[in-house]
Amino acid sequence: MTDSSTFSSGGADSAAADDAARAAACELDAVVVEIESRLSVWAQEAGAALAALDGKVSGTAVDKLIRPVVEELVRTPEGYAAGAGFLANAGLLGPERSYIAWWQGTEMEHVDALANFSPNAISRYVRAEWFRIPVETGQPHVTGPYVDFLCTDENVLTFTHPVFCRPDGPVAGIVGMDVTVQRLERGAVPALRRIGDRATLVNQDGRAIVSAASDIDAGDLAVAAEGCRVFGVGRRFSIWSGAAGI
Amino acid sequence: MLLSPQGASRSLAAVFTPIKSRGLVDEVCGRIEQAVETGLLTSGQRLPNETELASALGVSAVTAREALSQLRSSGIIRTVRGRSGGSFIADNVLPSRERALEQLDELTRLQISDLGLHYQAIASVCASLAARRSDAADVDTLRSFIPATDADPLSWRLALSEFLLEVAAIARSARLARELIRLQADLGTLTLLPCADAGYRNASARILEQTAGSIEAHQPAEAETGVKSLISTTTSWLLAEHARRI
Repeated sequence: MTDSSTFSSGGADSAAADDAARAAACELDAVVVEIESRLSVWAQEAGAALAALDGKVSGTAVDKLIRPVVEELVRTPEGYAAGAGFLANAGLLGPERSYIAWWQGTEMEHVDALANFSPNAISRYVRAEWFRIPVETGQPHVTGPYVDFLCTDENVLTFTHPVFCRPDGPVAGIVGMDVTVQRLERGAVPALRRIGDRATLVNQDGRAIVSAASDIDAGDLAVAAEGCRVFGVGRRFSIWSGAAGI
Repeated sequence: MLLSPQGASRSLAAVFTPIKSRGLVDEVCGRIEQAVETGLLTSGQRLPNETELASALGVSAVTAREALSQLRSSGIIRTVRGRSGGSFIADNVLPSRERALEQLDELTRLQISDLGLHYQAIASVCASLAARRSDAADVDTLRSFIPATDADPLSWRLALSEFLLEVAAIARSARLARELIRLQADLGTLTLLPCADAGYRNASARILEQTAGSIEAHQPAEAETGVKSLISTTTSWLLAEHARRI
């Protein structure tokens, strides 16, 4: 977490308030960092396991590899994942072919499974930000908050991470996790209140995810209040100690 | 006290109305029909067998078998026996003018205009929210759904519903998006009819451009007016056609 504080504090009271704000921001950062690191560990393990299949990658093999991890993620008590899975890039199972192994909810509902029988399913995903960006950049990404029509029909953040079978190889696919804004809000609002009554968690575009201010909703574009403190949260989010909706 | 002085409230009465849930079989059929309409599954394509279908959708083999037989009797799929046999998506399964006219004839004027009003109510709130929350990437995606005026009626119908769905996506309200999807399902193939009329397509294309412009320029009131007039153009067309056929 980085704190690019823009004002210097005076007096013992404001120093204590500073510490409380920093502690609260650390708490939120820890939540997001844990999600991101779980995903990068998973991406590495999945890459190694796919490489071990030695070019004989089938849908069944992918399911067998991915399902147990998803099960663990969505069934973790107090966990953050509403759904999770793997999406193959063209080339892994065949040219111009995709494959989706994604489940959601503790009931492990298989998402978009019909697409696996379609020869042109890849066209469904190539434009989606959560797939396109990690594939194009080779870097992890977070999409949202957005309404996810493909899976949850909820307001979510989708964390995705590219999977490589060889360090220098092409992107074999992505692993990802959906976290509903609702789930995040529960823990985040009390922490944000400790930072300020208009403290707001925003994504890289300045779009609000959760705010302590009741007039800023998830999905609203926001601006940082002048001279406010900025705390980094995970790879791409920030907390502004004060914000206004636009 | 359970009853208000005026008697039981209407919302309380709704609790006791029987739940007409679509059975699992209908659900599976609906998914496949939807996959055909959106081009994910195409005519002549082989469907997975009962066991594969059951495991992909997480239903029992019995449910999958019943669904396949229901799809067969409604002419969505055809089954070929023998070694190279299996179930295939039938030819001419796409929404047809005949089927749309049948649907129109079954409706009353009141049903058509009421459906139009409901659609307007939901879509216009989406539009005004979208105008508040849009960013440049949102507007690019939205514009990509505006079809060429000479595109065929089927792609026009799909593009119109995708355009409004994208407006809901930009609005980032999960409930409104879900309601819009439900309304589009209620409209069924009806919207195919006006899309065959060049005059309707020209008028709609202008409205789509204007609406995208208002959403881009963060003009909630104009965006709302645009979407309302798009839907009333459709409703008036359908009502005129309905009147002509009686």
